[in-house]
Amino acid sequence: MSEIDRRTFLKSASALSALGAATALGGAGPLWAQTIAGQKRPDVIRKAIASTGEEIPAVGLGSWITFNVGNDMELRDQCADVMSAFFSAGGRMIDSSPMYGSSQDVIGYGLDKLGARDQVFSTDKVWTSGDGMEQLAQTQERWNIKSFDLLQVHNLVGINENLPLLFKLKDEGLLRYVGVTTSHGRRTEDVMAVMKNERLDFVQVTYNPIDRDVEEYLLPMAYDRGIAVIVNRPFRGGSLVEKLEGEPLPEFAAELQVQSWAQLILKYLIAHPAVTCPIPATTKPAHAAENMRAATGLLPDDKMREQIAAVIGVLI
Amino acid sequence: MSEWWSYGLADFLLFSPRVYFRLFETMNTTWGLAVVSALVAGVIAAGLAMRHGHRGNRVILVVLSLIWAWVSYGFMWQYYQPINWVVPYVLPGFVAEVVLLAVFAARPLPLRFGWRGDFSSVVGAAFIGIALVVYPFVGLFEGRDLMQAELFGSAADPTALGTLGFVLMARGTWRWLLVPVPLIWCLIASATLWVMDQEIAIVPLVAVWLTVFCCWLDLKNGVTTRRMTQAELVEPTD
Ligand SMILES: NC(=O)c1ccc[n+]([C@@H]2O[C@H](COP(=O)([O-])OP(=O)(O)OC[C@H]3O[C@@H](n4cnc5c(N)ncnc54)[C@H](OP(=O)(O)O)[C@@H]3O)[C@@H](O)[C@H]2O)c1
Repeated sequence: MSEIDRRTFLKSASALSALGAATALGGAGPLWAQTIAGQKRPDVIRKAIASTGEEIPAVGLGSWITFNVGNDMELRDQCADVMSAFFSAGGRMIDSSPMYGSSQDVIGYGLDKLGARDQVFSTDKVWTSGDGMEQLAQTQERWNIKSFDLLQVHNLVGINENLPLLFKLKDEGLLRYVGVTTSHGRRTEDVMAVMKNERLDFVQVTYNPIDRDVEEYLLPMAYDRGIAVIVNRPFRGGSLVEKLEGEPLPEFAAELQVQSWAQLILKYLIAHPAVTCPIPATTKPAHAAENMRAATGLLPDDKMREQIAAVIGVLI
Repeated sequence: MSEWWSYGLADFLLFSPRVYFRLFETMNTTWGLAVVSALVAGVIAAGLAMRHGHRGNRVILVVLSLIWAWVSYGFMWQYYQPINWVVPYVLPGFVAEVVLLAVFAARPLPLRFGWRGDFSSVVGAAFIGIALVVYPFVGLFEGRDLMQAELFGSAADPTALGTLGFVLMARGTWRWLLVPVPLIWCLIASATLWVMDQEIAIVPLVAVWLTVFCCWLDLKNGVTTRRMTQAELVEPTD
């Protein structure tokens, strides 16, 4: 099975590059696909991926729950609107997983609709103890994308088989970056062991002003070893911003030009030297734009970061 | 796989309540006639099951088999499967239920439905009543649209609940074969509703406990094992 899926993976990769080349030769893509192509996007704060020096916008977009809308066309279009707002505000990284139901298909639909394949920094995962290659072929088909920028071993599932698989794809030039993920502070020691022993480009962990355990060992280690850090659950699945809603922002927030708690939290995260990119998820285009705006203007210094965590800690 | 222990129930909530309840709205509007027909067939089957007679046993089983087939293909495959990757794993169970109901209907002596007046009958009738009349409209109290009603015969949760009711109303040694699939589905439904913070999650959970209790009670009282009397075996001619 593995070899067949490998071939499917390679074949669809080359078919899609051929398609890309044909589109390029033939000029612009179809009219409906030009929604964001050629659009001028604002400058946003970028962070470097240490292993290559490539810079990416400091806020990304998650897709857990929010993009799992099945075949509901109205909701699919709403997700495409979220993606459109995200790209228009300067965003690039979108994260998904085979575990997220129809999210991968919905992202593929949005990329089609927006003609945004060149814009996206595609980030997905392998999450199986079975045939990783088979799952990756399916993931690629759902995104309908040439190749991925980053693939991660989701929650370390099948790490012994899946990590070598990802490194192999990278060595063959079919993948640009390799990472692992965890969340909710689970298996942090195992993740750090992988960070220590493998040549990872990325690690994805939960981090926000309340869940700060990673600050102690994991983030410094990532920084020292040149591993880029993606932050999941920046709003604790939404409960953090929900609880803070209605509370006045602290006075010092004005210095950072933030208009919401969501932006303050994102700035807190982006300002950490080890953090590359938090990936908040949303169902609302306005929230996607608001979150991206956190990657503009000033960032808090260490002292202000502590103040942010303290204020939020008191209010929660 | 050792990694699984680190997952919590909430990790498996893959969709929002909004997306979940819209599934019923889309299904009800797209398949209105089929949805209403399945509900009416369910109501007729319920009427037949409540009678203290023996006619209609085969009809009830055929109706239930068709309903499970429709729920499997319609709701489960067309609507639920795209947002919940658990569905393909449970779908073979649904198909098994379809086949079992058909096999029971085809037997020379199908299951005998009827009101017995014992505790299990009361519970069975209550399950059927809740599945047909109460379950679909609970959403109204939570501000959901009527079009999002989960109807017996098309939506999986009330169909599983109602089927347990029908089984409790039945006599026949092998009736327990029809219990595991709706029972397991009720557990899954309860867990799903619970992580979505829906209070109705308690209903399928209580149904599971009551079904297990009633099955045990009936076994103890010989309701399912006692040989039927000659009078009970003869089909009435009126
Ligand atoms: N193990 C793993 O690999 C793993 C685990 C968890 C998460 N992740 C990834 O990380 C991503 C982010 O985590 P998450 O989705 O769990 O939680 P999150 O991003 O912390 O929170 C998402 C919630 O925040 C709300 N929100 C977003 N922007 C907002 C704003 N500006 N104002 C107010 N509310 C806002 C959204 O509601 P609205 O829709 O109303 O905006 C949404 O319900 C996931 O989507 C997934 O891609 C990976």
